[in-house]
Amino acid sequence: MADVLKLGIVLMLVAVIAAGSLGFVNSLTEPLIAQQKEKAKLEAMESVAVSIVGAGVPVTFDSLSVPGLANPYAQSDAVLSVVGVFSEGHKRGYVFIAYGRGYSSTIQTMVACGLNGEITASEILYQQETPGLGANVSDPDRFLVRFTGRNTQSLFLTADGGDIDAITGSTITSRAVTLSVRRGMEAMAAAGLFQEGGQSR
Amino acid sequence: MSLTREFTKGIYKENPVFRLALGMCPFLAVTSSVENALGMGVAAGFVLICSNFLVALLRSVIPSKVRIPCYIVIIATFVTLVDLIMNAYLPDLHRSLGIFIPLIVVNCIILGRAEGFANRNTVPAALADALGMGVGFTFAMVVMATFREILGSGTWLGINLLGSPYSNQPILIAILAPGAFILMGFILGFFNMIDNRRKGGAL
Repeated sequence: MADVLKLGIVLMLVAVIAAGSLGFVNSLTEPLIAQQKEKAKLEAMESVAVSIVGAGVPVTFDSLSVPGLANPYAQSDAVLSVVGVFSEGHKRGYVFIAYGRGYSSTIQTMVACGLNGEITASEILYQQETPGLGANVSDPDRFLVRFTGRNTQSLFLTADGGDIDAITGSTITSRAVTLSVRRGMEAMAAAGLFQEGGQSR
Repeated sequence: MSLTREFTKGIYKENPVFRLALGMCPFLAVTSSVENALGMGVAAGFVLICSNFLVALLRSVIPSKVRIPCYIVIIATFVTLVDLIMNAYLPDLHRSLGIFIPLIVVNCIILGRAEGFANRNTVPAALADALGMGVGFTFAMVVMATFREILGSGTWLGINLLGSPYSNQPILIAILAPGAFILMGFILGFFNMIDNRRKGGAL
């Protein structure tokens, strides 16, 4: 009996010390991590917005709410609806984050598009796809460069009847990104954010 | 045994992957590029040093009947601490290593060294052992990743070695899971062959 008690107490002590140190470190790092995430998101927004307004032009962001873009995979801290990009008081385009269910993660893609509904730049914010295969989606020259200049009508993989080549060996990842971006832009088009004519092509 | 010997044995004689056949999961899963292999090796080595240190320090406190749960709690705690601290203070490093950190918990080298070495040796010996095993594991990962990345992508550490005609149409299977198993067979067979020769045995 005394033996069992001793085992239990040792186990409990180990667990209590582990939990205590984890809780302590978490309380220190949590605000920093949230800050880093926010900063990374803002930097990504600024870097894709350059493609709309041109380099060196100061931009301001203003969030818009678009019905239908709420995503079930989005984490509560990651909900960013569409953000309008303004420079010198004029609306120049939009930035939004698309969430797509990939092979082993929910892929977050930040997309910038002009008022005519054409993509001007995109970049992967977060993914945990297979290293060496799906993870190559983060390499901007490898996949996302193929999105530039496209609209909701032309955002389809070759395998789905379009002409965007998927990353070799990573069709699921490529399809997830393509589909999530297209869905996002369709929701924006339905909300009337794009100018007439931009959709007719 | 001297500390030097505790350190060097992990690199070849008792290499965790080639000789002890531990840590096969990361050896197969994250060796598709040299960069990933290096990251995983260094991250796992760091956790190994921390856990070996603590296990050796507490070896007379932890009763043998509950040692495994204690080790697992210790290892998991270290992994989570590394994850949180790296995320907060070294965000760039975390971005490139982040996906490997949770995988370290299931790396059986760490539990294997806690159970097989650290719990019956002194703290300095356990540290030397952890360092050697960490280096040996990283070495094994990089060897495997070198083959896989050159064959499967035509590059080494992201540098294009074989020119674009090859890297546009590489032997893709080398970076896919079946290629990992095939190459692992060749590499382990090669090291067994050397070992047999050394013992004077036949092939």
